[in-house]
Amino acid sequence: MNTPAAVGDVCPPRRYTHSRLQLFRFSAVSWNSHRIHYDAEFAVSEGFSDVVVQSTLHGQTLTRYALEWAGPDACLESVSWRNVATAVAGEPLTWSGTVRTVAPCDSGVRVTLDVFVLRDDGAPCVTGQVDLTCRAARTSPSAEPCRGPATS
Amino acid sequence: MSVLDDVLSRARGLIGRWEDEDCGTVTVKDFCRYAAAVDDLGYLRRARDQEAAGQPVEAPALFLAATMSWEDGPPEDELLPDGLAVRESPCTQGLPVRQVHGGQSVRLTRAPLAGTRVTASRAVTSAERKHGRSGDFVLLGLTTRYTAPDGTELTAVDETVVVLAALPKGATA
Repeated sequence: MNTPAAVGDVCPPRRYTHSRLQLFRFSAVSWNSHRIHYDAEFAVSEGFSDVVVQSTLHGQTLTRYALEWAGPDACLESVSWRNVATAVAGEPLTWSGTVRTVAPCDSGVRVTLDVFVLRDDGAPCVTGQVDLTCRAARTSPSAEPCRGPATS
Repeated sequence: MSVLDDVLSRARGLIGRWEDEDCGTVTVKDFCRYAAAVDDLGYLRRARDQEAAGQPVEAPALFLAATMSWEDGPPEDELLPDGLAVRESPCTQGLPVRQVHGGQSVRLTRAPLAGTRVTASRAVTSAERKHGRSGDFVLLGLTTRYTAPDGTELTAVDETVVVLAALPKGATA
């Protein structure tokens, strides 16, 4: 658990890429047949350099790394993001986050992170915000166990 | 009238018209396939352990929000040329456009448990003509509310879709 977090704390960045195979599997499991995500030739015809990372996969990544940073007692409350630029398969990406607010709540501590997906040149392709509740038993005796296994 | 004017006109006629979709009963298998697709092996292990122990299993946090459609179809010959189904591409049927997601806001109220029957209620909530780096576009706002059979909200998603005119052949964005 990375709490107690303080405003301005910077989360360790995470580097990753999405493979074409992952984009295809994510399209399949999310019943997303938009060809820009799995048909490279079609994606190029629409002006992209390769198949395009799904918006919701960006949201998934923003959320997952925020929860991994926060630790097993953290629950996701909300996530929002804006796609600033397109990311494509194989492109090196970096997740980063900064603590915006920390406030006590009924179940522990509520932490809001400003989160980003950055391209290799440091330019953001996704910007967003993740709200987490971190159980803090020592400061909140009434805190209830975190919800289930849903860490992704 | 331009193609984007057509989109705007159609969208404004749909604003506020809610449509319900039966998502069916969500299962541990559904959850685990989603987790596998995003390489979340930790979720897979915990969910299967909980299932084996007879405990309730919650969906991955963005499982509902990430799923584009809960329909059985449509069959391939009913998809639009870009692969989207008509319902996933509101206001653009038959028009030479391309579209990308602008972003999403997902609020988690209560995690759905395996075995829950879920309903998705969806509406176009806004439509605006905009101008950006890629030229003119229409920004569609869509809201989807996922509820349990007792009406309890599970997840709410506000999303924006950017609709642009199709590129001329051989052009790049």
